[in-house]
Formats: sequence, structure tokens, C-alpha cells
Amino acid sequence: MDPATLILMLALSALSTILYIFIGILPGTDETATMAPIALTLLLIGLDPLVVLAWFMASIAAFKMADSIPVALAGIPGGVMAVPQVPDALVAKDYGLADTVLRKGIAASVVGQVVALAVTLSLSYYLMPAGDWLRTTDVVFGVKVARWFWLVLAGLIVLALTSRSKFVALVSIPSLALLIQGLRSVYGRPIFISLFLGITIGPMLFELLTMLHRDLRQSLARRGLKEVKLVRIGEISLNPLKILSREELAHSTLWSAVTSILATVMSPVGLTILIGDLLRESRKDKIRGAVLAYTVRDAIKNATYVGGTLIPLLVIGVPTGPMAAGPAAPFFQKLESLGATPRDVIVSNYSYPTIVAVLLLATAISFLIAYPILVKYSRRITLAVFRRIPAEALYGLFIAIVLMLSYYDAKVSGIFGTLVVSIVSGALWKLGVSLGVLFMTLVAAPTLVQLLSALPL
Amino acid sequence: MKDEVYYELYGEYISPRELGISTLISAVFAMLFFFTAPSLAQITGVQPGGLSITLGAIGASVGFAISTLIAKVKRVVVEV
Repeated sequence: MDPATLILMLALSALSTILYIFIGILPGTDETATMAPIALTLLLIGLDPLVVLAWFMASIAAFKMADSIPVALAGIPGGVMAVPQVPDALVAKDYGLADTVLRKGIAASVVGQVVALAVTLSLSYYLMPAGDWLRTTDVVFGVKVARWFWLVLAGLIVLALTSRSKFVALVSIPSLALLIQGLRSVYGRPIFISLFLGITIGPMLFELLTMLHRDLRQSLARRGLKEVKLVRIGEISLNPLKILSREELAHSTLWSAVTSILATVMSPVGLTILIGDLLRESRKDKIRGAVLAYTVRDAIKNATYVGGTLIPLLVIGVPTGPMAAGPAAPFFQKLESLGATPRDVIVSNYSYPTIVAVLLLATAISFLIAYPILVKYSRRITLAVFRRIPAEALYGLFIAIVLMLSYYDAKVSGIFGTLVVSIVSGALWKLGVSLGVLFMTLVAAPTLVQLLSALPL
Repeated sequence: MKDEVYYELYGEYISPRELGISTLISAVFAMLFFFTAPSLAQITGVQPGGLSITLGAIGASVGFAISTLIAKVKRVVVEV
């Protein structure tokens, strides 16, 4: 890596950290909707994909550390992944332990990301030869099917069966795949960006469109302003080793290692709920259970995002889980400007030690900036964000970026393609289908539709 | 402002009118900047594709900055 690229990588990691501290603290910022379009924009600009991966790693570190700050201080999640921490934080708040969970969450995030990087980077190195086997194709009903497809399909079915509405989730897989391939055949090329963005903003757009319906919007109507109670906190030590107890450190380390691998095919939010709930219920003392669950969930958030991105990226080469098919999806799609997928460019242009060094450096920079800022100034930043940033301005920004990228992808018809996919995705999400099912259907759609058409039925 | 009806979205109170205005401002700036890229690319000699996206993202951010001045914050922070 030349010095100019290195300096750019360091600067972008720092910038990403600052940006995602604010995005993380802001309530209602969905991870995929805020991480994927910006990463995609940076890749389309023409930046080196490894530099964008460094940006992405720094954004995971800062975002997943910051999104639990408003949970601890006000019981409001800063992102979807922080929602499972709300009940734990409310118990802690009732017992005057808001500052305890705040600092434990911040320290656990560092543990989660560091452990996940160590585990996934070591594991990926030894598993890389398996990638060639997974990319080999077999002929099934006359259709060439890559072996990784069965991994994706198995993951899809597991995700559908763990969705709130299992039946709708299962039947939505072939239906959405047909819609995606139908749109692609209309466009005459295998477009990805506008379809992906359609799923990304689906839940948000569906809620926004609900506001335009006279009857449906009644349940959402509110009068007056939203009151947010922000608790006061005391002085917090900067030394992370003083923050976590031995038990919290052991559980954070163990579950970060396990979930970083499971996130290759499983949902990060599902794992955060599952492990956190198990730990909470395992303690008879309600407060100890809540604090332990809150802390370990913070570690799992970072670990699943790191593992869910890196194992598919370094070993398999295709997005096999909801993280890789969601927030990290831009790295797996062929971009015309590159003539390949950013993932392929990274693994073919750079040695494994260089990739490892860049990922560790980006994480180190992010934590060196985010950790002291959040430990010292989290309450002040939260106050400033809550008092100064209107939600409408932020939603307007993301909708504008989605509009521009959709137009870039397929002109005006790209915008309407995004709209139709987002309405369908939003409706399915509202009916209880997890977003992971929709993202992974987008990955599986070409082979799935070919197989459906070839079935002798 | 206190009598206006808002709609709750992801725990935030939203004014449809202000959301419409904010989206319009950010989208107009994003597309305006996006479409200036080809002529700017001709002058500077860089790739128009990448420049379009860069300028579009800058335009959307300018729109965001203007929107923060137009849309009102609907949270009242009570320090307890």
C-alpha cells in the first residue's frame, strides 16, 4: 500500500468514526439504511475498496459503540441493534445504574470488536481454501448452481423460520425472487443498487407512506412534543480494565467469539436477543442479570457485525448471511467502474497480512477517537444531538441519497424500481418477515428463479 | 407548533410537511450537484461517474444542513 493510500485510509477511518458517533446516537437510524448507501457511494466514487473497507470497519466500531448511549441515558435506541438493550437499561435506570451500564457497554464494545477480529481473521486464514470448493458449480435440473447457493438457501430458510411470521416469510422468498428477476429482465441487465436500496429503505418508506393514509395514520398520531428524560451521570474512569468485572469480561469474550462465527449465516440482531436473554434469565438477581445482559449484548453487536462481514468477504466471496447481504452488501456486488466486485479487488490486489493490518489499524483509530469521546462527553453529545438535529432533516438526507443512487443505477425507471421494491419489502417487514430474509433473497434470486423455472412440475 | 399533529416513526415525532420540505431540499440539491458533474468532469478531466456521486452526496449534505434550520426539533429534553 502506497503512503498516499495509507494516509487516505487513516483520514477516512477517523472521519467515519466521528460521523457514526452522531449517527449512532441519533434515534431511529437503521444500520443498513445508514451504512450501506455511504459505503456504496464511496465505492462508486472510485476509492480503493480496501480503503472503503477500513471506513466500514471504523463505522462498525463507532456506530455499535454509540447506539447504546441514548439507551443508557434515555431508554431510546440509537439503532435497530440497540433495541434489545432497552429493557435491560430501563431496569438499570430504575436502580440508579445508568452510568454503570453506559460505561460497561462502551468497554464491552471494544472487547467484542477486538475478539471478533482476532477470531474471524485467524479462522478465515485457515478456511480460505474452502472458498474455491464453495464457488464450484454443479448442474441441478440443467441449471449451473454454485455450492455456496445451498448455504445461502439454508440460511434463508432458517431466517424465515425465525421470523415473526414464518409462513409469510417462507412464501415471500420465491415471490420476491420473481419480482427481482422480473425487474432485472425489464431493465435488460442484472442491476443491483436500486433493488438493494429498495429493500434497505422499505420499512422506513412504508411507515412514511402510512402517514399519508387517513385511517392508518391515526394510530401513529401524536400531539405536543416528545419528552425525553435524560439521566445525570457521574465521572467515568478512562481505563477500560477497571470498567468490566471478570464475569462480564469472560462472557463478553466467549460470546463475541461464538457469535462472530455464527453471524456468517445468522442474524446479528437475533443473536443479540438470544444470548442476552439467556444470560439475563440465568441470573436470579434481576439487576445483575440486566447489567450482564446489557454488557454482553454490546459486545455481541460489534462481534456479529465484524464476523458477519469478514468471513463471507474473505472466505466465501458471496454474502451468506444477513449482515453481508445487508449493511456490507456493496462489497459483494460487481461494480461497472471496477469491472469486478470490491471483495474480489481486495483479495486479489492485497496480501492477507496487508488486509489484516488495515482492518486492525482502522479499528484502533476508531476506538482511540470514539472511546475517550464517548466516555467523557457522551451525555453532552446526546444533549446536543437531541436538541439540534430534527429527524426530518436526517430522513430527507437518506431519501435524497437513495434517489440519486437509484437514478445513477437505472435512470428514472431505477427510481420507480426502488419504489416498488421498497413498498413490497416494507409490507413484508410489517407482516413479520425479517429484513435478513429479503436481503438474502436478493442474493439468491438469480439461481432460485432459474431452478423454479427448471422444476419438472 | 405544539398544536400540530405529528406522527411517531421509530420513536421520533415527525411532521409530514417538514419531512416533505426537507426531502425536497436535499433531493433537489443532490440532483442539481449530480447533473453538474459531466461538465465539471470535462474541465477537470476526471471520471464523470465517480464525480457525479461525489457531487450528489455533497449536494444532499448541503440540503441536510439547510433542512436542520427549517425543520423544528420535536424533542423536549428533561434532565432528571
